[in-house]
Amino acid sequence: MTRKEFPRRATRRFHRRAFIAAALALGALISSGGGRVAAQTTPAPTVLITGSNRGIGLEFARAYAAKGWHVIATCRHPDTADALKALAAQHPNVTIEALDVTDLAAIDALAAKYKDTPIDVLLNNAGILGGLDTQKFGQLDYPMFYKVMAVNYTGPLKMAEAFLDNVSASNQKKIITVTSSQGSIKMARGHGGYFYKASKAAVNMAMRTMSKEVAKRGVIIGLIDPGAVDTDLMKPIHLPFPLTPPAKAVSELIPVIDSFTLKNTGDVIQHNGKPLPW
Amino acid sequence: MAFLSFTQNAFFLSLRRFSLGGLMLAMLGLPTFLAACSPDEKTAEQKSTPDKTVEEQTPLGPEGRPVVLITGSNRGIGLALTKEYANQGWHVIATCRHPEKADILQSLSAKNPHVVIEKLDVTDLSAIDALAAKYKDMPIDVLLSNAGISGGRDVQTLGSFKYDAIDKVMAVNVIGPLKLAEAFVDNVAASKQKKMVTITSTQGSITKTFGISYFYRSSKTAVNIVMHNLAIDLKDRGIIVSLISPGMVDTDFMKGLPLPLIPPAQSAAMIYKVVDGLTLDKSGVFLNHRGGEEPW
Repeated sequence: MTRKEFPRRATRRFHRRAFIAAALALGALISSGGGRVAAQTTPAPTVLITGSNRGIGLEFARAYAAKGWHVIATCRHPDTADALKALAAQHPNVTIEALDVTDLAAIDALAAKYKDTPIDVLLNNAGILGGLDTQKFGQLDYPMFYKVMAVNYTGPLKMAEAFLDNVSASNQKKIITVTSSQGSIKMARGHGGYFYKASKAAVNMAMRTMSKEVAKRGVIIGLIDPGAVDTDLMKPIHLPFPLTPPAKAVSELIPVIDSFTLKNTGDVIQHNGKPLPW
Repeated sequence: MAFLSFTQNAFFLSLRRFSLGGLMLAMLGLPTFLAACSPDEKTAEQKSTPDKTVEEQTPLGPEGRPVVLITGSNRGIGLALTKEYANQGWHVIATCRHPEKADILQSLSAKNPHVVIEKLDVTDLSAIDALAAKYKDMPIDVLLSNAGISGGRDVQTLGSFKYDAIDKVMAVNVIGPLKLAEAFVDNVAASKQKKMVTITSTQGSITKTFGISYFYRSSKTAVNIVMHNLAIDLKDRGIIVSLISPGMVDTDFMKGLPLPLIPPAQSAAMIYKVVDGLTLDKSGVFLNHRGGEEPW
């Protein structure tokens, strides 16, 4: 059509605007449709966290939930884990499971339940101190040693073994254990605490040993030192400086977890990103 | 016993991957030390007092000799250490679980009244207390925690862990030495040399781990951190707390390994020298039988 044949100016204006609107609508439709397709093909990663009812574990559950991960949040007593229940109520991607890490049969049962679930990060967070007076030389409470070892050493080892296939089947393939600077022999300062220190040094050894054996499966083993964090575990220890809020500790620890690769598998890395010597 | 040859694969692998230097050293040193070792046996016999009847033998106190208490002294490194210390003129309190079956130890004690045998299972904490009560007034120059177990074969493989093996290996290798230290601390503090020695292992070095033997390794790492911290805590009392790895020694623990293992007597002689040379500045250090330092 020639310009002379084209309708009057108002009608031309109308057609021009209609054309632009239609083009934009079509563009929006295409891009949103593409976005929906992309979301369907990238599943959210899954993290399993032990001891997730309070302290560092609870903040890990919160942080990963906020990142849109599937969170399998375990603790011994879900019925009294109010903060965790509130989190699960807010986030449908958070599932609470009852688990005592000293109950090896229960770990097997949980692994059987989640048999077909790839787990990107297995986060061995549950840990106990074992008291202070119980670990003073001259009044050592030896039964406490075995309790501390059951939670801090055997628990993580059993979890790692039971869920190894789940981790291996995932994208990120990480088994992370929360350790402590108290487990470093080089940095030792004495003052008792033998059972707790022994449990952390022992789990460091077990996990580093495992890192050598599972590397061929692409599984990455990480040990993280959260520093001195303001949790119930630390309450008996009256440190002369303010402790880090758990949420802050976790905000530093998640990038540390992200930083583990097959190159530094089996290392202990502190919350500030620095390695911790044995 | 299943665990007697458990470390066959472990140490063969260890040798292949890490210890080429150690292998060469052992092979170079082996002929020399083999020559040195056998005369020791004869020397011990020559030095012994003339045979006495049972009635004539009475348990003697130290009579001015330094005192060493050695656990697991019926065989292996413990037996060799008992012989070494006895030859060096010490008063030896030689403990083991079954004295009635410890034939070599019994004959040693029969010939040397300064080798006194005491029944002790280091996992029996009240027995340790009872022994400490019995020896209440005796200064002990060297408390030598030698008793140790491997934790068992086929229970420490990833994928088939037998978790009930953990408490047992920890009880012997970690709590035994710690409880002994706690029970006998005053005896050691009252002595001239003030030494607490634990026989550990380079298998407990996290730096050196390459896989396998999870529970055994963990137990030695655990005793390392415990004794290293105890060294700091007991420094004020002038007590030297030492960790010594004995090398790869030809004992039941290592039975049948196709490796150049050193004879127990050689390891014992070297350990004796290391302990003899210990000073407070070496307290808490992870040493080996050559007196060198091992990495945590």
